[in-house]
Amino acid sequence: MSATTAAVPFWRAAGMTYIGYSNVCAALVRRCLKEPYKSEAASREKVHFSITKWTDGKQEKPIVRTDDE
Amino acid sequence: MAMAALRREGRRVLLSTPSPAAAMAARSPAASHQEIAPLGARSISTQIVRTRMKSVRNIQKITKAMKMVAASKLRAVQIRTENSRGLWQPFTALLGDAPSVDVKKNVIVAITSDKGLCGGINSTSVKVSKALHKLTAGPEKENKYVILGEKGKVQLIRDSKNDIEMTISEIQKNPINYTQIAVLADDILKNVEYDALRVVFNKFQSVISFKPTMTTILSPEVMENQSESGKVGDLDSYEIEGGETKSEILQNLTEFQFSCVMYNAALENACSELGARMSAMDSSSRNAGDMLDRLTLTYNRTRQASITTELTEIISGASALEG
Repeated sequence: MSATTAAVPFWRAAGMTYIGYSNVCAALVRRCLKEPYKSEAASREKVHFSITKWTDGKQEKPIVRTDDE
Repeated sequence: MAMAALRREGRRVLLSTPSPAAAMAARSPAASHQEIAPLGARSISTQIVRTRMKSVRNIQKITKAMKMVAASKLRAVQIRTENSRGLWQPFTALLGDAPSVDVKKNVIVAITSDKGLCGGINSTSVKVSKALHKLTAGPEKENKYVILGEKGKVQLIRDSKNDIEMTISEIQKNPINYTQIAVLADDILKNVEYDALRVVFNKFQSVISFKPTMTTILSPEVMENQSESGKVGDLDSYEIEGGETKSEILQNLTEFQFSCVMYNAALENACSELGARMSAMDSSSRNAGDMLDRLTLTYNRTRQASITTELTEIISGASALEG
């Protein structure tokens, strides 16, 4: 069978979700693009948000997920 | 009615006199009882009305600008939103939507905006989430909130802060893209235990209409039970390639479904937010315009009245001297 079939148990075992796995794959495909399409696609993968976990009605310190330097 | 308002405005202007006490009164509400004109004061100060007019005009300028900004942003987001609907529709066709499924751990994902001044879309979202929370509550059940956006957080903190599991903000710093939402969905899936995720958002209908909407995503185990009992989807009628079992495929599918639904929901909500802001700002600039018209009328009338009074006084004084 194809390589993906063989890969499934491994990324699952590593604690990745399907979303994480497909994101890695998508990033790889985007990196294969040539200019000017490459920079155009790069603008579509900017990640920025802040996430705060709550325990017992109190908020913890927010974690900012971002990739802009 | 307009006349009554005018008279009211007029009286307020007439009462404020150019004495230092009145100037104080204009500034501090504590001294506002000293509104009676001091002895010997004749002319009427229009200073306060002029300041008021200026501030109303400035506010109108701001709301107009906000409306323009929202309108120009809306067009791009609307196209993206309409395109993103194609992402979740196949899932609904394949797996179906089962809002009535009764499970133990419900996680309500309420999508709101970070910024205000956009009409009632945030309170609608919160209201629906609360109703859903009440509806799915019961003994031995655990309902949690995951909130996107500051405004929803602020509203939900008040009475259900013990049920908040996670809050997310600042997602609209860059234009919303799939990668971002996928990372976010990944974080939610990893950190929250759930049997069913219920995503609540405002679905964009048109610039003036938004429908609060809920989409249910079941966990793989629940999904498997449901599909065996024939309540959701007909995955069995598809031929599956590769060596994966049905449960593995269902897990992958539900995870991907969640990210797609989240992407669509975030866009729909952003689109609704802009539309709502547009109409809210439109009506507030119109209100400011009405107020300005009223104030201008009052102002001119008062000015005219004081000029007439002065003229009469001068003329009568002159004729008294002559006679």
